[in-house]
Amino acid sequence: MTAPDLTALSIAEAAAQIVRRALSPVELTRAYLDRIHRLDGQFGAYMTVLEAPALAAAATAEREIAQGRSRGPLHGIPIALKDLIQTKGIRTTCGSTVLRDWVPEADAAVVRRLAEAGAILLGKLQLHEFAFGPTGVNPHYGTPKNPWDRACMPGGSSSGSGVAVAAGLAAAALGTDTGGSIRIPASLCGIVGLKATYGRVSRAGVLPLAWSLDHIGPMTRTVADAALMLQALVGPDPADPSTVERPVPDFHAATRGEVRGLRVGLPRELFFDHLDPDVDAGVKAAARALEGLGVAAEEVSLPGMGDAAAATFAIIAAESMAYHGPLLRRHSASYGADVRTRLLAGQFVLATQYVNAQRIRRVIRAGVDKVLTGVDALLLPTTPIPAPRIEEREATVDGITQDVRAWLTRCTRPFNLTGHPTLSVPCGLTRGGLPIGLQLVGRMFDEGTLLRLGAAYEAVSPLRGRRPPEP
Amino acid sequence: MMAPLSPALLRAVAETLARIPVDPADLPAIQAQLAAQGDGLARLDALDLSAVEPATVLLPPVEGQR
Repeated sequence: MTAPDLTALSIAEAAAQIVRRALSPVELTRAYLDRIHRLDGQFGAYMTVLEAPALAAAATAEREIAQGRSRGPLHGIPIALKDLIQTKGIRTTCGSTVLRDWVPEADAAVVRRLAEAGAILLGKLQLHEFAFGPTGVNPHYGTPKNPWDRACMPGGSSSGSGVAVAAGLAAAALGTDTGGSIRIPASLCGIVGLKATYGRVSRAGVLPLAWSLDHIGPMTRTVADAALMLQALVGPDPADPSTVERPVPDFHAATRGEVRGLRVGLPRELFFDHLDPDVDAGVKAAARALEGLGVAAEEVSLPGMGDAAAATFAIIAAESMAYHGPLLRRHSASYGADVRTRLLAGQFVLATQYVNAQRIRRVIRAGVDKVLTGVDALLLPTTPIPAPRIEEREATVDGITQDVRAWLTRCTRPFNLTGHPTLSVPCGLTRGGLPIGLQLVGRMFDEGTLLRLGAAYEAVSPLRGRRPPEP
Repeated sequence: MMAPLSPALLRAVAETLARIPVDPADLPAIQAQLAAQGDGLARLDALDLSAVEPATVLLPPVEGQR
């Protein structure tokens, strides 16, 4: 008889065993480290593996739990962090050679919160340089490989986070999301990604890309696990003035809530235009599956979405260049060409265009708020196309050829602009065997309804329980 | 369709106003990105937003020392 694969357990399953002392956090951590050593050479998800600190932290967790001092469901659970998130005494490269040797003096707020919850840090994960790109292609440290097809992109910018979770190299990971960087790799790698409402999760200690669009959130294998991670992350933080004091529901309990009678809206504009046929079929099948659970699905109109791309461009370009300008003056040649030229383009956005982008942003957000008075959530694809091959720079759908970056971000970036909570859940595979992502968008601070819908759908999803092929 | 800005103009603006040296080899990529967004940005300028104030720009979070 072969030993059970501990890395196949969800956080909820592992936590249940840990708390009744049927599973040792040290044993679980060692299983993940063994798997990382065995397989990460083929995936390239990790930038830094923290073997000795992880085993020491797991031993501490085991002792505390044995003494009856359990800290909750993340206690003893091995997780990993996108290498944009600062870790005290641990190199934080941000995926760039500019910061190749940067060792922060303090942990980011989210790192402190996960440590307080007892999570075990396995290591730091690869990303698109400075989180500025949706493909995950990194010219400095290599591009992580999509576990469903290693010739394909993982998606970005949280590329290592998507790959590590999908390939069973971490029980969960944190990503960051400025235009879709949690949800895009979640969609392309077939996992769950949650971008909570802007202001729910502190950004303090995470290198900014665009302050007013940046979000941080969990990437997991199940919706319930995303709920458990989110619970540990939320709350106001004086170090991040965008965070707000809001009631915090029991997110895990929300995943067990009834969905019958809820209403979801499928936007008529933009999001269902020019989709890969398998993505179109997969997302529409997911809507029908929810209808089968008693959820009413209807078309809705979301005016103004046509201006979201230009508004997002103006804001990201101006804010990212404002941050990176001083670094570029000193280290321009150390940036990869794709990120350097995207940053430099920010110099040519006029101040008036930035302000007008912030004005249209208000209009678009009000439009989404209004639609969400009539339905409980929006339902749409996460990405219009499945994972492109790593070397692809353009993709063609319905005879329209565009840069893959434009395709990948089309359905995600509007909700960075508006700040609404958004959940990506796997909803099937293409005929080529690549994952498809379903995106649910909820009312401000109503992550609970998204988790409820996501968990109900997940239970009937054709991808439920499927893992990528072992290398 | 907006006319693309010339590489010479891009370089002059970057080096004069932003004080960032630009490798001439980067200019075609910058030009292409701006051209791809030019019409969208022009549309933003053309919208009637007279009754709309900008969304609040929040202060950035405190960062660690680098």
